[in-house]
Amino acid sequence: MTYQPATISDDLSKLPHLPRWVTSGRLQTLETVAFRSGVALTVLDQLVSDPRYGVPVKLLANRLALSAATATSKLEGRMARGADIRDAWYLTPPGEARGPDGDLLALWRETVRLRLNGPGEIADLVGAEFADEVGVWLDAGLEEARAHGPLSGCLAILRAVLDADDRAERVACLLSDIVMARTLNWKRVLPVTAQRLTKTVLRDLTAGGQGADLPAEVRILEAIEESVRVARDLTRRAEALRAVAPKLRAKGSDAAVELFLTEDAVAPASMLSPRVRGTSIPMSPRAARRFCDRLVELGVARELTGRPTFRLYGVTP
Amino acid sequence: MTTATRKRKPADDSEAVFDQELEDLPQELRWREWMGRIEAVLFASASPVSREDLARVVGQGASVEMLIEDIQTELAGRPYELAQVAGGWMFRTKTQFADAIKAAADLGDPSLAFTEMEMRVLCAIAYHQPIDRAGLKDIFGKDVSRDLLARLRYKDLIASGPRSPRPGAPHTFVTTETFLVTFDLQSLRDLPELTSDTAACSGDTSE
Repeated sequence: MTYQPATISDDLSKLPHLPRWVTSGRLQTLETVAFRSGVALTVLDQLVSDPRYGVPVKLLANRLALSAATATSKLEGRMARGADIRDAWYLTPPGEARGPDGDLLALWRETVRLRLNGPGEIADLVGAEFADEVGVWLDAGLEEARAHGPLSGCLAILRAVLDADDRAERVACLLSDIVMARTLNWKRVLPVTAQRLTKTVLRDLTAGGQGADLPAEVRILEAIEESVRVARDLTRRAEALRAVAPKLRAKGSDAAVELFLTEDAVAPASMLSPRVRGTSIPMSPRAARRFCDRLVELGVARELTGRPTFRLYGVTP
Repeated sequence: MTTATRKRKPADDSEAVFDQELEDLPQELRWREWMGRIEAVLFASASPVSREDLARVVGQGASVEMLIEDIQTELAGRPYELAQVAGGWMFRTKTQFADAIKAAADLGDPSLAFTEMEMRVLCAIAYHQPIDRAGLKDIFGKDVSRDLLARLRYKDLIASGPRSPRPGAPHTFVTTETFLVTFDLQSLRDLPELTSDTAACSGDTSE
């Protein structure tokens, strides 16, 4: 039997996008960056806040968590690749140690699951060393964001954390994302800040000097624009998956599709069988493999690792 | 006595009624009691205790960090100290008394004495984790014995990490919290930078 592969539509016209007249300007001054970031944040805000657009927000958040883990690994000089970080997290049996890479991804995944009104949760996340100052830093960051806009708020808290400990890059980026999410009144944190930052940019930021703000703001702006692109792309891929979902008749396929719409990578052997994660719906290992192969055949998912075994599937590009 | 009867009652439904807040005590005494509790918990524990665990024995609004600072101030002249290690706190004798402790106590076969090969393997794992036996073989050019790895694991310096995506799904090795404590590291970032001098320690991968 042959299947008609689904076509992933290129019609993104109904989704909010970054207008060309905003992204085309290449002259970077504090004014142009402030202007462009205003537009970019509004577009991102519309995408994640308005359910009509069908943006798979959990999927987006998990995908951005992996990018943030890769970026912070680089900032901390460990230089783990995204694929290695993902493997460390997905291939650790329950109860075993994840190692530094898996732990880093776990931190970012916990960040996107954070309930924003629980200050205790944030303190637990950043660890004992910073638990006391977190509240003060967040208040100051939010205050700055109210007065001068979200990017200034992000910069203020990055600076505050790195002044206290110049090796706390992951905590600084994480708290900056919380400031952004709170300022925009999002329900969940999107790990945006870390994506494009470099060691040099952060070092200059803590060394002081007004000149240091612009490069940092440009990096965060680029990350916001990138997040908009990822959000639009994932929406179109999620739509394609939703469109073929009725064709899938395997037992438990609804729950499995739901998993693909929230997780950027799915390991059939542990996340679909013996039970579809988060549900009590059973699926045999063979059925799980066949289900994933079927999604690939239909053109709505991809095998992510290129390995013959220990495969991971996802709708992500 | 009233206190005795008061004490016996809560014992029936055990820890459910553990009084964190101590609201019947004046503030000064309450703080002292909290300090005492934290010190007692740390004293009784052989491994570092996390902030969350310590927060469970003091009042909701109390700052664990400030309580610990107060305890540290009191310990200023003592031969032991409250040290922050691996995301928690623990009691530790000051290093300057190491010789005295060695001279006085026959520590027997010190469980943390390493052979050179053990040290090298531990080093390789620390820098290249998660790494499986095949990966270690690539570094050392020969098989690393299971016995040696078992000894490191027995000392709780390494643990099983993620599975390696190779046939047989061998588990990889990662370092533990005990590893950080033993070598007095806050995190893996405190490992010395790999320069050409120290590269020998990791067996120096030629790639």
